[in-house]
Amino acid sequence: MFNRILIANRGEIALRIIRACKDLGIETVAVYSEADRKASYLHLADHAICIGKASPADSYLNIPRIISAAEIANVEAIHPGYGFLAENAHFAEVCRSCKIEFIGPTVEAMQLLGDKVAAKKLAAKASIATVPGSEDAVENEEEAAGLANKIGYPVIIKAAAGGGGRGMRIAHNEANLRSSFKSAKNEAETAFKDGTLYLEKYVEKPRHVEVQVLGDHHGNIIHLWERDCTLQRRHQKLVEETPCPAIDDRTRDQICRAAVKLAKAAKYTSAGTFEFLVDKKKDFYFIEANTRIQVEHPITEMITGIDLVKWQIRIASGQELDLRQRDVPRRGVSIECRINAEDPSKNFTPSPGKIEFYIPAGGQGVRLDTHVYGGYEISPYYDSLVGKLIVHQPTRDEAIATMRRALQEFQIGPIKTTIPLYLEIFSNKDFLRGKVDTGFIDRM
Amino acid sequence: MDVERIRELIELMKENDLSEVRIVDGETRLLLRRGVPAGSMPMMQFTPVVQNPPGQLPASNAASAGGSPPAGHEVSEDSHLSSISSPMVGTFYAAAAPDAEAYVRVGDRIRADTVVCIVEAMKVMNEIKAEVSGVIEKIMVENGQPVEFGQPMFMIRPD
Repeated sequence: MFNRILIANRGEIALRIIRACKDLGIETVAVYSEADRKASYLHLADHAICIGKASPADSYLNIPRIISAAEIANVEAIHPGYGFLAENAHFAEVCRSCKIEFIGPTVEAMQLLGDKVAAKKLAAKASIATVPGSEDAVENEEEAAGLANKIGYPVIIKAAAGGGGRGMRIAHNEANLRSSFKSAKNEAETAFKDGTLYLEKYVEKPRHVEVQVLGDHHGNIIHLWERDCTLQRRHQKLVEETPCPAIDDRTRDQICRAAVKLAKAAKYTSAGTFEFLVDKKKDFYFIEANTRIQVEHPITEMITGIDLVKWQIRIASGQELDLRQRDVPRRGVSIECRINAEDPSKNFTPSPGKIEFYIPAGGQGVRLDTHVYGGYEISPYYDSLVGKLIVHQPTRDEAIATMRRALQEFQIGPIKTTIPLYLEIFSNKDFLRGKVDTGFIDRM
Repeated sequence: MDVERIRELIELMKENDLSEVRIVDGETRLLLRRGVPAGSMPMMQFTPVVQNPPGQLPASNAASAGGSPPAGHEVSEDSHLSSISSPMVGTFYAAAAPDAEAYVRVGDRIRADTVVCIVEAMKVMNEIKAEVSGVIEKIMVENGQPVEFGQPMFMIRPD
């Protein structure tokens, strides 16, 4: 087991990792930018090192500075969290070449699954259905139009190098397609330094269902069930729940087994997530894999009782999974709301600033993963995630009731948060009946 | 943890030729180190603030309190000194080589292009220039000490 780990991240996930390390008796080294200097969670780490100015390029994305900090602090491993360098295969390579373990998958698995086009090819080879689309990158509008005519509209343009909705455009006809191609390319260039695009059939009103897997270095791979992340706004997830309320146990089993099959084909290790679209007929299509711990991992932890971050650390240190697939339980229903510092009544304008009053939600069945507190200053340099509000109850109705209660209890101000939006969602008839699709929020 | 107990621990360490003992007992943490073990590096350390009154921000260990300082320089509150701070994370070396003379000493006059020290990062020895002219008043770090981004290394009386 590692003696000392550096956490190459910030905010709530840095705190999450620090906590897992402390539970395991591992010393922690946090890094921070000047903008995060006053963050309280830094004091929970054994050591904290300032690595640069506020901008991510100068700090949390700065590989030389992070490696330098790892070296002077003499750590044995680095946990990258999510976002920033978490899916950067080059960073993983640099870590390992400096004899520092990267807590995540192998470089090969990251490169294979990180490239959406390559990942689709892998799925096809493993006989797992994918959404009909381009076999490879699409170079220009001509190629895109030709392919779209074959697949049939509507189609979706996607960036090969990243997600979060950037570089994504839906086109309902050729004119749409031709006009959005260039802007999608530009957006992808800016966001991921890679303008490579590919094309897929756009599955209408789909549900987004993803499967959590864990793989060790001894060839064992298990799934920890699925998560439904259908509720999104501009392709950013807002609410996640498990189990998926719209599929039966048979489909659930099939999707989870498909994910394990794909993970095995990629020789996957550490924690990872395989994403699928489920259409109205309950057919599912693999769309992409995420080679990192995800924001919404807590809901899986709640229904299984298994600590995913601790397992990432154990696996990275060489330990074998002591769980067999049949040992992975599924109890109750867990739902998460991502609370952002944004004003839902003003088109989700970011609302940074100092949190003057703060009363967290709590009680039976409530978990709050957050790095903020009264007096914390939300800076404009990073994402607007204030915290993740998670509930866990025996049934979906009870989980929803608890979430509603927790949202009402939760007081943060004077900054604006998306809590009012969630209060609306958790009173919405369609949501309560489990009948939503990815366009739900935009229509609200 | 009382003084007698610590004395006992020190004796035990000497008897058994131990170089480092780290004890955590509830909220008490004790680190005893004999001599400087080969290859060990001093750590950047925040004093853990265990009892933190609600709403109060913990005191920062490093130089600036909120807001980014101008590139590499800061004006100290109680005097007219400014500092040369590290532009990177790494290890501070006062001289070009272990047996060489230090680049600068207290009292030396420096110019903007004077190399004042080396900060080694990832096996690369980076020569750090003063970027300001004046006289060296204080050297804030020791040879071989790890430095973080923005950490003051020299206090200068600027021209």
